Amino acid sequence: MNTPTHTVNTADAHELWEYVLSQIELSISPANFNTWFKSSSIVKIEEGVVYVGLPSQFFREWYLKKFHPTILKVVRSVSYEFRNVEYLIVKDERRRLVREQKHDKPTIELPLNEFYVNKSDNLNPRYTFDSFVVGSFNELAYTAAQAAINRPGITYNPLFIYGDTGRGKTHLIQAIGNQFKKLYPNRKVYYLTSEKFAVDYTDSLQSGSANRFKDKYRQYDLLIMDDIQFLSRKEKSQEELFHLFNALYDNNKQIVFSSDHAPVAIPDIANRLRSRFSVGMMIDIGEPDMESRVAIINKKMALNSVVLAPEVVEYIATTVPGSIRELEGVVNNIVCHTQTKGVPPDIAEVRQTLRSFSKSTKNVSVKYIVSKVADFYGIDQESVYEKTRRREVVRPRQIIMYILREDFSVSYPTIGMKLGGRDHTTVIHSCEKIKRNLIEDPELAKEIEDIRTLLTN
Amino acid sequence: MIIVLEKIKFIEAVRSVARFTQHHITSLPVLSCILIVAGDDGVRFRATNLETGIDFKIDGICKATGVVAIPATILQQIAASLTNEGSLTIEQTGDTAIISFNNARSVIKTIAYEDFPIIPLPTTNKKNTINGAVFKSLIETVAVCASTSTVRPDLSSIAIFFEGGVLTFVATDSFRLAEKKKTLQTTLPNLNILIPAKNSTNIIQTIPDNDIIFMFDEHQVAFLWNESIVTTRLTNGTYPDYRQIIPKKTTTEATFLKKDFEAALRRTAIFSDTFQKLQLGFDPKKQHLTLTTHNQDTGSAKESITAKITGAAIEQSFNHHYLQTPLSLINTESITVSAGSVGQPLTIRGVGDNSFLYLVMPMNQ
Repeated sequence: MNTPTHTVNTADAHELWEYVLSQIELSISPANFNTWFKSSSIVKIEEGVVYVGLPSQFFREWYLKKFHPTILKVVRSVSYEFRNVEYLIVKDERRRLVREQKHDKPTIELPLNEFYVNKSDNLNPRYTFDSFVVGSFNELAYTAAQAAINRPGITYNPLFIYGDTGRGKTHLIQAIGNQFKKLYPNRKVYYLTSEKFAVDYTDSLQSGSANRFKDKYRQYDLLIMDDIQFLSRKEKSQEELFHLFNALYDNNKQIVFSSDHAPVAIPDIANRLRSRFSVGMMIDIGEPDMESRVAIINKKMALNSVVLAPEVVEYIATTVPGSIRELEGVVNNIVCHTQTKGVPPDIAEVRQTLRSFSKSTKNVSVKYIVSKVADFYGIDQESVYEKTRRREVVRPRQIIMYILREDFSVSYPTIGMKLGGRDHTTVIHSCEKIKRNLIEDPELAKEIEDIRTLLTN
Repeated sequence: MIIVLEKIKFIEAVRSVARFTQHHITSLPVLSCILIVAGDDGVRFRATNLETGIDFKIDGICKATGVVAIPATILQQIAASLTNEGSLTIEQTGDTAIISFNNARSVIKTIAYEDFPIIPLPTTNKKNTINGAVFKSLIETVAVCASTSTVRPDLSSIAIFFEGGVLTFVATDSFRLAEKKKTLQTTLPNLNILIPAKNSTNIIQTIPDNDIIFMFDEHQVAFLWNESIVTTRLTNGTYPDYRQIIPKKTTTEATFLKKDFEAALRRTAIFSDTFQKLQLGFDPKKQHLTLTTHNQDTGSAKESITAKITGAAIEQSFNHHYLQTPLSLINTESITVSAGSVGQPLTIRGVGDNSFLYLVMPMNQ
């Protein structure tokens, strides 16, 4: 070995060591190689000295005695710039990692905590009151929830929260559970959906452990049952819930229900259960008003550290209909947009995005809309097309124009023509007027929302 | 090589040394062997698993010098089967070793000994003295609390500190923690080392009760006595600052007889659930400590013991194994248990014994 014969990148310690190992592996037995070389590496190369890291003193002694000449020979066959090889005892990767973790101190028992969260109460720790936006639409529900937490089982029992899908019911009731857990660590909380309850019940019947099923649910201090409407038509499960309810209620254990309808409006549910749902506090979470929507958008954006121009936020709040879940979808879309492009979108881009979210892509005739709206307000269809200016007709006619324009993007002249040959400026005026009124008049907003629902069904 | 050993000495040596061998299939065969060295300075048994190592001097007659490596399991089986009194001859010829005892003769295939590693010594000349019995008892007291997982090498070690005349041993697996202190008459240099717990329990099986010498450097510690050496690597790293989790304020304190609690614990723990949960209720009005367990499958149990309780009434749940552990480690008749606020560990001490401290975390409900 007079000249370096191998082309190995001398600056790359890893590559160098791989090469050394490949040479040594040929000269010793596999057992020997496994024992001595598996956990070694080059730590650094400094001034021609190669420093090899080893796990303990045992290795170092043995390397010095046995392998040093071979390693030196191989290293020098790569390049003469390496003068010597030295051996250090190092912490392995795993150990180094742990040392860094240690800075986030309170060592004791964190893993166990996490383990129990999911096992014993079914709650998602993500849903807390901190991330819950309170607005006029859910203020009452929020206050009632707080009251129920402060005096569980006494103030409002059961607490029955209902509202359309995507209004934050699940968030609210899970937050109750999480808060309860924080305040009373010695008491037991359990969250489940009515569907899980029914499945659990049938399982227990099948396996013949109905008594264990009863005991399991009677031990909780706070029972939260989501989406109670799915119990409709499940008579046996309803009966079981009825008994469970009585047991918990008599012992002053807090019960929280959620549903998408008021108890009276849940179809096919036993009357005795229905009346029991109504015994405590029933609260409707309405549709989020403008300010709340803005607050919700801002909060979600802040969580993702995206800042939007106020007019963009307002535009989203007015344009995205209905549920908070849809709002969340739009927000996610914008966050994604920001992450890929690096800047938050402006209003034009948002408008473009929202087009894909808007509901009414369905083609419907003007006549259909007129008939639905006329039905809704209880007026004669024909009167819409006539020139009459009676108040009870004018309002619906304007709303029809507004809906045609906003939801179906019909041109102003067309709308005018179809609705009894009106001038397009009249149509523009009507649309603007409704738009203005919408901001001030929640009643009107509700009406239009209801009409939209009618139209989509 | 020909050596003659007394049966008792041979058994003792095999027992001490065999636990330091390694049994991985992939590793060197010689690591699962005991290396028998017969030299001018006597007979020595050696073994190592590359974490710990032993070089054990044994009284015997060396008739001819030589070295042989014999699988430890064979030597263990031979040692366990010797019944009558007598002495043992080990003779090596070629690649076999012959062990004769009275009329019995075993011919053993040996393993090539050239690959047997060197047992290293710390790179220091500073020698310190410690009483073997003290060291053993300190390790024995805390070792059960060390973590058995290898994920966190610091927690699977026993931390040893020496400061201001006090020797402190600590072990924790993050669910409970044991700390034992001992005031020494002799002085030692300031210590702050982590010995892997598994290695430490092997070591205390081997060292004698009288004073022994120990030496340490950054990477290893060695114990020397009577020409024998046992050594282990140290864990690289710093120990978590455990002192900050010892509660400074307590809300409830209970003092009771250890034997009452021990018996009640044993009776109620039968019905603990799959999480080994046992609830402790402190009732300062009735001066009762209540132990409750509930298992959905087998049943439930409840028992109250008389206790002197001050502070607020509270209930907390624990893994009953973790409550059981300190009872055998506390020597006093009564014990004091202090509970803090939510999420704080429970402190257990012997009354009048400040040398031992045990912390255990409550379970989430």
